[in-house]
Amino acid sequence: MIEPGPTTDTPPVRLREPTNLVCPRARWMWLLEGIIQALLLGGVQVGWWLLDRHGPRDPHVVVAVVTGIVMLAYIVGMPLWRFRVHRWEVTPTAVYTQTGWVSQERRIAPLSRVQTVDLTRGPVAQLLRLATVRVTTASAAGHLVVHGLDRDVATALVERLTVAAAAERGDAT
Amino acid sequence: MPPILAGDEQWRRLDPRMLLVHPIQEAVRFLPALLVVFFSGRNSDRSGWWDWAILGMIVAFGMSRWFTTRYRIWGGQIELRRGLLNRRLLTTPADRVRTVDVTAPVWHRLLGLAKVEIGTAGGGVLAERIVLDALAAPVAARLRGELLHRVASHPERDVELGSVGGPVSESWTESVGESTPEQLLVQLDPSWVRYAPLTTSGLVSAAAIWGFGAQYLNEFGDLQDRVEGAVDRVAALGLGVAVVVGLLAALALVSLLAVSGYLLSYWGFRLTRHSGGTLHTRRGLLTTRATSLEEKRIRGVEIGQPLGLRLAAAGRLSAVTTGLGVEGSQKGSAWLTPPAPADVVNRTAMAVVYDPDAVSGPLVAHGPAARRRRYTRALLPTAVLCAATVWLSRVVDLPPVLVIVGCVPVLLAPFLAADRYAALGHTLTARHLVVQAGSLSRRRDLLARDGVIGVTIRESFFQRRAGVVTLTATTAAGRQRYAVIDLPVERGNAVATVVLGDIVGQFADSPGWADPSADRASR
Repeated sequence: MIEPGPTTDTPPVRLREPTNLVCPRARWMWLLEGIIQALLLGGVQVGWWLLDRHGPRDPHVVVAVVTGIVMLAYIVGMPLWRFRVHRWEVTPTAVYTQTGWVSQERRIAPLSRVQTVDLTRGPVAQLLRLATVRVTTASAAGHLVVHGLDRDVATALVERLTVAAAAERGDAT
Repeated sequence: MPPILAGDEQWRRLDPRMLLVHPIQEAVRFLPALLVVFFSGRNSDRSGWWDWAILGMIVAFGMSRWFTTRYRIWGGQIELRRGLLNRRLLTTPADRVRTVDVTAPVWHRLLGLAKVEIGTAGGGVLAERIVLDALAAPVAARLRGELLHRVASHPERDVELGSVGGPVSESWTESVGESTPEQLLVQLDPSWVRYAPLTTSGLVSAAAIWGFGAQYLNEFGDLQDRVEGAVDRVAALGLGVAVVVGLLAALALVSLLAVSGYLLSYWGFRLTRHSGGTLHTRRGLLTTRATSLEEKRIRGVEIGQPLGLRLAAAGRLSAVTTGLGVEGSQKGSAWLTPPAPADVVNRTAMAVVYDPDAVSGPLVAHGPAARRRRYTRALLPTAVLCAATVWLSRVVDLPPVLVIVGCVPVLLAPFLAADRYAALGHTLTARHLVVQAGSLSRRRDLLARDGVIGVTIRESFFQRRAGVVTLTATTAAGRQRYAVIDLPVERGNAVATVVLGDIVGQFADSPGWADPSADRASR
């Protein structure tokens, strides 16, 4: 086993972030989605409260307080954190995305390997005129997703990627 | 003989001998239900006609498969139409065929039939494979030869570095089944069966038999009594003896199962290379299976060294190829050697990928952060488990054996961590990205650099604090993803940049990035 350092042939590389931020309205999308998740959890809590009629109330209070604090932090922190992380870039040869918040992920795929380009809009995204672009490659593990794009930006992006994918011949494997 | 691929417009049925096979297969599949029907029928005053009616239905159902399935090979397409209520048409162009499996289960062999499974490109692992079940064995062999030969004689635009297929000499109209000159790469040595008990296959089949058998044991109470009688007699000798006898019996049973499993699947294993640029494997005792892999589609190999095999200086080899997954039913198709001595495995890997540095060269270690993470990841959960059992033993009355069992893992954890770090490594050769990891199931993956169609650089919260990333190379072959875990950030970026060239290099912060493989950018 060689120790890393001067013996290894390639110099270290630093990657810059992708240039484009997603649409600022994406923060509202994540916020709304966070609130919906919190409401669902609250619903579960209420159900538990109603079903467990004769038990002691202390566990209910403890669980409610803990989830309340966690969800509040989630709703406030997650959209801002995500917005700082989520970025994308398309060059003439490649697609580059950065996603995540606690765990972060950068994906790079050659434009020549793009197979399909999907545009999806969830109910919340529709409300905010946002869209998600999903790019797949011949690898089942190789898709790239850009969340929270402005609808017009997303449509233009899809068009651009589709043209690039169609220009490539062969089965892109 | 005219080539099968020339074909005609006519939709054809599969071999009529399948009218015998289908009902038997269905009857076997419904065997538990059939047994219940027959046994319950004996005890009631129901007419015997019922039994015959049900049997007849199963036979008719089996035969209906033959009547509802048609195929045709015409105009460069292979088409399969099947189903009665839920009809479907599967189509694939013959030049997209990547792998062809010819399988002959016992019934098929008795009647001289063979099943042809066709794997295609582009669909990934999710695509449904076209299965012709079944053709006459010689027809199946000829079809396989023609399909692969046709592919080989129509080289595609994307000529790859990894391609090792030789020049094609014959025209595709020639029969290529068994007559093509071939080079023998691996032949099973029966003594390799000694490696069988070192794999987990025996345990797996024992578990399967246990699960299956337990249901029937309940129905045949008599047998259960006898087993329990034997257990009681042994138990009378004392707990220590009982445990030893039990363990030995289990060990013998598992080994026996592993050995028979090995013989059943690998008997007569042969790996050959044909001049058309394909690798052929042939194996099996009762069910024979012949697989053809187009070398142009092979993106690398996986050298598996699970703990048991590693201790015996053995391993196994499978191909990383497009059109064929490495999970589930397709897993067996990609095997290039059975569990075999390490030098056989390495030699075969060499013959397939021609890259000595990748097969057995030294690897680059991932550094202190990766080592630390191996230890925390092994010690933390086991320490929690130990602490939990100790705490439980104070609160409730727990037999001391359980406390020992709960705390043994934490004592073994450092060894596991050390071994996992010793395994962890990667390297880049001229043509391959090599990744090695794992202790109990160690694997060295050799992935062709030009088979990489994207990279993912992922960091979890803890990885970010430790300054390491997991670099995943995505590919259309094999597992679809090959991960290099816990690389220092900048080394991870560097590896990605070398593998994908300017595709990644253009996003580098340092302007001085010189692309060593600039030719890739134009592809």
